[in-house]
Amino acid sequence: MAERKLLFEHTHDPAFRTLDGYKATGGYQALEKAIKMDRQAVIDEVKASGLRGRGGAGFPTWIKWNGIPKDKKTTHYVLCNADEGEPGTFKDKQLMETCPFLLVEGMTIAGHATNADQGFIYIRGEFIDAARALRSAIDEAYAAGLLGKNIMGTGWNFDLDIHLGAGSYECGEESALMSSLMGERGMPRLKFPHAPLPTVAGLWERPTLINNVETYCCAPFIIKNGGEWYASLGASTKNSRGTKIFSVSGHVNKPGNFEIEFGTPLKELLEMAGGVKGGKLKACVPGGSSVPIITAEDVDRAIIGYEEMSEVKSMVGSGGCMFLNEHTCIVTFIWRTALFYANESCGKCTPCREGTRWMLQILDRIRRGNGQKGDIELLKDICSQIDGRSFCGLGDAAAWPVAAALRVFPHEFEYFIENGKSMVESEPTLAMAP
Amino acid sequence: MSELTQIGSINERPRIPTRDEVELNFSDKAITELEALKTHYPELKACILPTLWIAQREYGGFLSGEAIAEVAYRLQRSYAEVEGVATFYSMYNTAHKPGKHKIELCTCLSCHLCGTYRLRDFLKEKLGIGHGETTADGLFTVEEVECLDACDRAPVIQVGDTYHGPVDEGYLSKLIDDLRANPESTVVKMADEMVKVHIRASER
Ligand SMILES: Cc1cc2nc3c(=O)[nH]c(=O)nc-3n(C[C@H](O)[C@H](O)[C@H](O)COP(=O)(O)O)c2cc1C
Ligand code: SF4
Ligand code: FES
Repeated sequence: MAERKLLFEHTHDPAFRTLDGYKATGGYQALEKAIKMDRQAVIDEVKASGLRGRGGAGFPTWIKWNGIPKDKKTTHYVLCNADEGEPGTFKDKQLMETCPFLLVEGMTIAGHATNADQGFIYIRGEFIDAARALRSAIDEAYAAGLLGKNIMGTGWNFDLDIHLGAGSYECGEESALMSSLMGERGMPRLKFPHAPLPTVAGLWERPTLINNVETYCCAPFIIKNGGEWYASLGASTKNSRGTKIFSVSGHVNKPGNFEIEFGTPLKELLEMAGGVKGGKLKACVPGGSSVPIITAEDVDRAIIGYEEMSEVKSMVGSGGCMFLNEHTCIVTFIWRTALFYANESCGKCTPCREGTRWMLQILDRIRRGNGQKGDIELLKDICSQIDGRSFCGLGDAAAWPVAAALRVFPHEFEYFIENGKSMVESEPTLAMAP
Repeated sequence: MSELTQIGSINERPRIPTRDEVELNFSDKAITELEALKTHYPELKACILPTLWIAQREYGGFLSGEAIAEVAYRLQRSYAEVEGVATFYSMYNTAHKPGKHKIELCTCLSCHLCGTYRLRDFLKEKLGIGHGETTADGLFTVEEVECLDACDRAPVIQVGDTYHGPVDEGYLSKLIDDLRANPESTVVKMADEMVKVHIRASER
C-alpha cells in the first residue's frame, strides 16, 4: 500500500489555504449538503463512517456527537483540541497550516449536527503559524457568510474563535483544556462517572463537543461522499476506518507526515519515510511518546489499526511514530521520555506528581552509571503504582513507556546497572545529556 | 509598588486589587483588544490567558508584578489567581525579565535522537548561558523546551514566532548574528502575534 492522501490531497497547494482555492476543489459542498440534512442524519453518517477520534484514544466519534442533548436548553459549544503536544506528533500542525478550511468546515458541520452556538479552537501557544492560517481562514469564512449570523441563509448563527494555550502538554487532556480555556491553570477536572460527561456539562457547565483537529477534518469527506464510502477505507482491519496521518521522525531519511489507510503494514510507513538512517532498525515508538516501544521484529509484523497494534502490545495513539536505529541507547531514550512527563505533570495528584519524579531520579542515576541493584524492580513497582491510579491519563502515559521498555529491552537496563555504562558502544547521534 | 506585596498575602483572603494599588499601562490598542476579547466568552475569567499575552507585550516581554496586577484589576480577579495561572504556563515570562530574543531549544525525544544536546553545549559556549539564563547585555535568553511538534525538522529551535530546523552550529551562529542586528524584540513580537490571532476581522 502507498500513501492515501485524503485530508492531505491539497496540502502542498497554497491556494487551498484561501476560500476560493478551497471551494475550487469542492470545499464547502459538504456543509451545503449537511445544512440541508436533518441533524440526526448527519450524526448517522458519522456513525456509518466508523470514524474514531484521532487525538489518541480512538473513541467512536458519533457517540460524542450523539451525546449532545437534542432538546436545546442552553448554549452548546463545539471545541477543537489543537493542543498537539505529544512528542513525535506534528500532524495537526500541518493540517492547520496547510488545510485550515478543512477544520473550519468540519467544525461548522459538527456545529450544525449538535445545534451549537459557538466553537473554540484551542491551539497550543507555540503554533503561531497554525493560528495565523486559521485566523485568515475564519475571517474569510465570516466575510462569505459561512460563519457568523444566518449561515447560508438558514437562520443558524455560529461563531468560531481561536484561543491560544501558553505552553503546557497537560492542556491537551480534554478536561484540562477546558480548565485552561476558562482561564484556569491547566488541570484536569473530575470525570464520568464521578461527574457528567462534557457532552452534558463541559465548558461553563454547558454541553460541549470536543474532538481532535484531524477528527473534525474528516467530517467534510464523510458528509460529501457518505459514511459508507468512508468506511470502505481501512476495511481490512477489525474496527479502524478511513485514513490516518502518521508523523514519522527520529532516525529516518525522509521524516514527515504520511497519510495512510488503516491496514497498512507499519514497515511500509518506514519505507515511505525513506528507511532507517545511520544503521539498522532497533526499535519504534509507533504512536507518540506515550505508547509502548516495540522491537524491529515487531515493526516487521505490525499492521496499523487500533486493535491490530495491540498484537504487538502497542497503540496507534496520536500517530507520532519515531524510529530508533541500532546506535540508540534505550536507557537514555527512556530517561528522556521520563524527563518529559516529570516536566509536564500538572501536580494535581500524588501518584503522577511524585511517581514521575521518582522514575526520573532512578533512570537518571542509572544513566549516570550509579544504578543500584533492584532499580528495575523499583521502576516496575512505581509504574504499576502510577498506572490506573492517577487522576488523568498523563500518569498512565508516563508509566507505559517505562514499563514497556523494561519488558522489551530488559538487558539494556541490566547491563547499564551492572557495568555503569551503556551497552550501546557507539552513539554517533546521541550526545550524552547533562 | 510596596502595596503589591500585600495583595493576597497570608493575612488577607485573595482579593481584587483596587484602583490605587495598580498602575494602568495598557495602551489604547490593548484596551480595544481586551474589549473585543470580552465578547468571546460568557465570563471575564476566560480572558485571563489572552490578557496575559496582551500584558506580556505591553510590559516589554515580562509579566512583572505590576503587569499581573493590571491584568487582575482589569479582569476583576485576585492578584493571586492571575499569578497562579500565569506561573503554570511555560510561555509566560514570570520568573525574570527575558532577553530581547529567546532561543527555545527543543531537547525532547526526536530532537534528542538527532543530537540536540550538542547544540545546547554550543549555545553555552557561544553565549555563555544555559537553560533559563540571560546574557548580561540583555539580548539573549536560552531555554530548553519540550517537543515543539515539528520533529520532522529535528533538531528544532523556536525564536519568537519562527521555527528553525533542522539547525546545526553554523546555522545557529548565523542566526545569532542576525538577531544581534535585529532592533525589534522577538519576544515582544511573539506576544503581539499571539494577541492578534484572537481578534476577529470585524473587531479590528
Ligand atoms: C496527557 C494527555 C494529553 C493529550 N493531548 C492531546 C492532544 O494534544 N491533542 C488531542 O487531540 N488529544 C489529546 N489528548 C486526548 C484528549 O483528552 C481527548 O481524548 C481528545 O481530544 C478527544 O478527541 P478525539 O475523540 O477526536 O480524539 C490528550 C490526553 C491526555 C491524557
Ligand atoms: S495524572 Fe495527576 S498530576 Fe499527572 S497530569 Fe494528570 S492530574 Fe496532573
Ligand atoms: S522532539 Fe523536538 S520538535 Fe519534537
